[in-house]
Amino acid sequence: MKILVCLKQVPHQDARLDIAGDGAWIKEDGIKFEINSYDSFALEEALRLKDAGAATEVIVTSIGPDRVTQALRTALGMGADRAVHVKDPAVEGSDALGIARTLAAVAKSVACDAVFLGLMSDDSNASAVGPMIGELLGVPSATGVVKEEKTASGFRVERELEGGALEVVELNTPCVLAVQTGLNQVRYASLKGIMAAKKKPIDVKTAADLGLAGKVGAGAAKVKITKIYAPPKGTGAQILKGSADEVVAGLVGKIKELGLL
Amino acid sequence: MTILVVGEIQKGAVREASYELIAFAKKIGGEVKGLIIGSGCGAQAEAFAKKGAGSVYVADDAALANYSVDAHTRVIKAAVAASGASTVLISNTPSGWDVASRIAAGLDAGFVSDAFNYADGAYVRRVFNGKLDARIVSSAALTVVTVQPGANKAFEGSADAKIEKLAVDLSGLSAKFVETKVAAAKGHDLTKAEIIVSGGRGVGAPEKFNEVIKPLADALGGQMGASRPVVDAGWLPHEYQVGSSGQIVTPKLYMACGISGAIQHLVGMKGANFIIAINKDPDAPIFEVAQLGVVGDLFEIVPKLTAAVKAAKGA
Ligand SMILES: Cc1cc2nc3c(=O)[nH]c(=O)nc-3n(C[C@H](O)[C@H](O)[C@H](O)COP(=O)(O)OP(=O)(O)OC[C@H]3O[C@@H](n4cnc5c(N)ncnc54)[C@H](O)[C@@H]3O)c2cc1C
Ligand SMILES: Nc1ncnc2c1ncn2[C@@H]1O[C@H](COP(=O)(O)O)[C@@H](O)[C@H]1O
Repeated sequence: MKILVCLKQVPHQDARLDIAGDGAWIKEDGIKFEINSYDSFALEEALRLKDAGAATEVIVTSIGPDRVTQALRTALGMGADRAVHVKDPAVEGSDALGIARTLAAVAKSVACDAVFLGLMSDDSNASAVGPMIGELLGVPSATGVVKEEKTASGFRVERELEGGALEVVELNTPCVLAVQTGLNQVRYASLKGIMAAKKKPIDVKTAADLGLAGKVGAGAAKVKITKIYAPPKGTGAQILKGSADEVVAGLVGKIKELGLL
Repeated sequence: MTILVVGEIQKGAVREASYELIAFAKKIGGEVKGLIIGSGCGAQAEAFAKKGAGSVYVADDAALANYSVDAHTRVIKAAVAASGASTVLISNTPSGWDVASRIAAGLDAGFVSDAFNYADGAYVRRVFNGKLDARIVSSAALTVVTVQPGANKAFEGSADAKIEKLAVDLSGLSAKFVETKVAAAKGHDLTKAEIIVSGGRGVGAPEKFNEVIKPLADALGGQMGASRPVVDAGWLPHEYQVGSSGQIVTPKLYMACGISGAIQHLVGMKGANFIIAINKDPDAPIFEVAQLGVVGDLFEIVPKLTAAVKAAKGA
């Protein structure tokens, strides 16, 4: 079984978010990036299946500019076998469907049996791409996966519902699993792994290579962000000002007033 | 212009969020048509129709007794075709987000996720885990939108009910529902706590919970809670998690330390009587739901507060 893992590189969770000149996204230069939190769990899950002998190859892929090479190298260092980097200005400005089309084309080109990816990206928070890939490939998909088990015909997975409830579903392979955070403990790349990763191949592809010229990118996008901005402030909290001691005195005063002290 | 509103049955009834979709549809403007999917769901379809959806398609089949991604994909696609809808609204719930973007991909439609508002021709939604808002415009002939539950007031009104059966071929499904499981009994029940002191990713390391957060909870005679990343990292067990996929709590006092205030966390604690937030980022969304806030380093504030609480109690 070959597993393709989709990795998005997103602004670091503690990065400063300044609005870009066009007002429609954030300024990306000068900030730190990291692998989307959900996607690290997807990669770890695929690597565990390989360690257990259930998967034969783990391929990682990412769509993005030069900087995403770092995310792919990290994944190779953790144990992925090879990488496909879709690097093409013509893919930039894609909406979720454009990204899903591109990833579905990568999945076809590597002939994988399963696509593992994140439930949601930490920047666009869309939870869109996983089910879309499933539909485009004509295969089943499951989101919010917190447990998976390989069966003879595919996977038996547990999906997270609300308030701690779980839904158990069986999917035939090929299939798409969009994972929730926390389903495993993600490993770190070892020094040996990082050294070995230097020899692992990163295949660079364009939209045209994937047969998608004109089908993805800003021109093909059906939805567009027209404006991004800090949420309007409501009344908000009363902010205690002063030295740490003054602030603490204010907090104690409030807790007393609430009758809890 | 027709807006197809996909109702969801939960515990035998059409859930509140489905009526919020009707209210959302009225903001967009257009003819509303509803859809109810289930097995033996005639009464729910009737209720949904009468309480605002008006004309409702019903897909009633034993194979639809439980949620299944490919069965629901087929049914919703059939309802889009039958209704000629140009907009489809689905609640952003675990079954909603599992199917909605599939419909969009299958029908080559625009997709907007987790919108909380529609204004001036644009959908409005949160991005960057609540830190920024975005306006999204669709240029597609068909747009599929998931709507954040709880963000809009449920539609309260009535409509002339009209029920239409929708026949869909449900043979050869590739995803099979097995069962739903309820999480194991909780050892640490936060739902009854009067005071909860929660720590988030900002606490930074597992040992800091026992060193910094728990002493304050103890001093106040309360319980310790946490946000999801803390539990995901294995720093605390799942029963400490507050939020949409954890516990929904309503204490007299909730203190959020190093928690940014993503919607999934807020859902779990915004019902608290009083909320205090300690966060070093003055723009953290948690300050919008808190009544009282401290912009500062929790490692400086919390231990001092613990000492002050102990001193106050001793006095
Ligand atoms: C389907 C689904 C279900 C989910 N369910 C839940 C749920 O049940 N519960 C939940 O919590 N989340 C849930 N989440 C995750 C949620 O989206 C957020 O990712 C999560 O709540 C963020 O946790 P956090 O605030 O601790 O971390 P972050 O968002 O990373 O925030 C950390 C905060 O700490 C502050 N900070 C850092 N250092 C310090 C310091 N020294 N002093 C003071 N402040 C500091 C930072 O300024 C920042 O605001 C769910 C997500 C999905 C998609
Ligand atoms: N540019 C990208 N490159 C690789 N994978 C991506 C990309 N964008 C999204 N994904 C995958 O799709 C998942 C869901 O993202 P989203 O639908 O944007 O919330 C992410 O967790 C990633 O696994």
